[in-house]
Amino acid sequence: MARATAFKAPASGVPRLSAASEPPLHIVMVGWEFPPDHSGGLGVHSYEMVRELAQLGHKVTFLLPEDRPHLDVPGVSFRAPGDALDRPRRPGVEPLRAYVSPETGTITNLSEVADFYNTWIAGLADLGRVDVVHVHDWFGTVGGTALAHREHAALVVTIHSTEYDRSLDHPWPEILHREEHGIAHADRIIAVSRHLRAQLIDRYGAPPGRVRVVYNAVRPSGPSPPPDRRPPTVIYIGRLAAMKGIDTFLKAAARIAPSFPSVQFVVGGEGPELPHLLHLAAALGIADRVMFLGRVSEAERTHLLSQASVFVLPSVVEPFGIAALEAMAAGTPTIVSKTSGVAEISANLFRVDFWDVEEFANRIAELLLYPPLSRTLGVQGREDALREGWRERALETVQVYREAIHDRRTA
Amino acid sequence: MTQIVLELHLHQPWRLGRFRYLDLGSGRSYFDIPRNLEIFRRVADRSYRPVLDRLLGLVDEHDEFRLSLSVTGTFLEQAREAAPDVVERLQALVGTGRVGLVAETYFHSLAFLLPPPELHDQVELHRELLRQTFRQDPRTLRMTELAYSDHLARFAEARGFRAMLAEGWPGILHGHSPTYRYCAVTAPTLTVLMRHFPLSDDIAFRFSSRDWSEYPLTSEKFAGWLGATPGDFIGLFMDFETFGEHQPADSGILEFLSALPAAVRRHPDLAWATVDEAAQGPPRDTVASPEIVTWADERRDLGAWLGNDLQKSALEAAKKVGRLVRLAQDPELWTDWRRLLTSDHFYYMYVGGNPADRRVHQHFSNYPNPFDAYANYMNALTDLRRRALAASGHTE
Repeated sequence: MARATAFKAPASGVPRLSAASEPPLHIVMVGWEFPPDHSGGLGVHSYEMVRELAQLGHKVTFLLPEDRPHLDVPGVSFRAPGDALDRPRRPGVEPLRAYVSPETGTITNLSEVADFYNTWIAGLADLGRVDVVHVHDWFGTVGGTALAHREHAALVVTIHSTEYDRSLDHPWPEILHREEHGIAHADRIIAVSRHLRAQLIDRYGAPPGRVRVVYNAVRPSGPSPPPDRRPPTVIYIGRLAAMKGIDTFLKAAARIAPSFPSVQFVVGGEGPELPHLLHLAAALGIADRVMFLGRVSEAERTHLLSQASVFVLPSVVEPFGIAALEAMAAGTPTIVSKTSGVAEISANLFRVDFWDVEEFANRIAELLLYPPLSRTLGVQGREDALREGWRERALETVQVYREAIHDRRTA
Repeated sequence: MTQIVLELHLHQPWRLGRFRYLDLGSGRSYFDIPRNLEIFRRVADRSYRPVLDRLLGLVDEHDEFRLSLSVTGTFLEQAREAAPDVVERLQALVGTGRVGLVAETYFHSLAFLLPPPELHDQVELHRELLRQTFRQDPRTLRMTELAYSDHLARFAEARGFRAMLAEGWPGILHGHSPTYRYCAVTAPTLTVLMRHFPLSDDIAFRFSSRDWSEYPLTSEKFAGWLGATPGDFIGLFMDFETFGEHQPADSGILEFLSALPAAVRRHPDLAWATVDEAAQGPPRDTVASPEIVTWADERRDLGAWLGNDLQKSALEAAKKVGRLVRLAQDPELWTDWRRLLTSDHFYYMYVGGNPADRRVHQHFSNYPNPFDAYANYMNALTDLRRRALAASGHTE
């Protein structure tokens, strides 16, 4: 009830916490990617979360691994190795830059960058009182743990995806170790879906009492022109990574392409799988039916998702799947694999086993063939996607902070 | 003297199997016959067999006991395959001469929403089936889900029926009691028998509900309520499966049924009657219903079957395919098409509504959600359309 009231109160300005009962917190959030420079759900999550936390009256310091251009958020101080605040105190130390391989699009000196970042985090000294250190995934866990320990602050770790999932069960030991470090030391762990929560308990031995679920959300977009779905498009947007199961999408497209000569299949995004996917499309005989868009800007992404006839997210593993939620919010009928976290918050989408090429083909065809079906799914899915927003998610997160602080104090 | 008209409805649809888009043109059957028969056998064990045995016993024990049955064509088709002894029990019960039979559409369908002559054809098919199976010519008609309107009343009268069943809904009774005989404004010779929905639903919906203030319902208490209800008759119309399936045996529902005639006997002003017996006698007033009224959900309209875009578009598509099927004149296509008109398929496509109605809908659905139900149905219909086009020699 309190959540609903807070959400419906914009007329009287942004609701702020009453200082008497719930003092505002100082949250140091250890980040990695941040808009406009991001490739997945983590960057969006970080941006929307700190925005809401600051609006709720909390003080947020956001740490980034590099001093890069980023969106500014009122009320949030950004810090990065080598920034204006940092430079005078560490003369002679040059921040280590990530090197992105032009061939694969991945960072080749990842381990060194992470080490450098963690050392910098652990050494941050001028932060004032810190209530919570909030780390995402694995990259800042070692430094974040040390910082929380030194500042007597609670440690909260949000897991967006695990190394087992990203590597399709061939984890890189170094990343796995950093992940385990964070999970072992956190006062509270946030998983972005129930499915992921179960994995953290089963595979990482996280104590069930410490793991909370906070889903992702989408920001409602303004009124958009009615979609012009000519030609009809079936679209995937996201990173081109093995865990995303884009093979399945292409094979399903090949299965129905001859029966739908006017339909355009679209793959948006970049990533290491691109060469493989190009070859696969050619081998399947649908090279002329699939458009690979490469890098897609935020504005293009919003436009593409709202204009698509069908959005497909066939991930082998998908802890949440924020792109699916964005598609639903745009009123686009959505098909996801059964393990996707997003399927936990809505029944108004089609759920298919990630390996079931035929079933993906069936569902795509049915949505293309039967307009009342795609209309109804679109309308109902949109309602589900927008029922709760980032404000609710931030309030849930603050609740987790308070639990963690309470535990840290009584420990 | 107030007559008690117990009318029990027996129906099983031919549920579809999963018929995917990629199954179009495969020649696969739309209907999952083994699964349907399995469900039938399960319901026969829990409800049809034990309840029919009890009813046979009651007819034997109580000379005054009467009841009425409506048995759909799809039910009898499945019964013959899955549990022929259920058909024999029904024949034995009707053979006692104390059972009124009620005609309807053979396929328990939405044919009343289709252009003529489909409704006529389906009612005649059902009449013929009842004649052959039970050697009785029904004089009373009901529509699927008790649909009733002025238009349907005129149809019933024109087809020679003496009575028609309807929901005793305040929306058409305007303060009058459902316990009197009415005649339709559009059909002066047709008696309209109204369902007394509070008393019917005390058994059908509330019997085993522990948070109901009248729980537990005993046959004495219920007979007391019947005795205190003035009127020509009290229409207790409900699913046969209420006994043993919707209300499970361990709720005591079968014992309740068995004890009811003895409890009623203690009220000298109560008597049992078949639908045909209740329809004899002058009507008290006329009733008008320009819109279709049903017995479903809180609104008693067609919303349960045609309330959303999915359902409406499915029916429209079925109508179009029906024109092709008529042209093709192939009995197999006819049967498949008519089985697809069974109202249950549309019921599974229900979206939204209030939580109580949605729970009822989900309880009766064999799909995880209405979208699966719709996609599956449309695939089958699309396949049938192609077959009909091929058979009729027409092109699109």
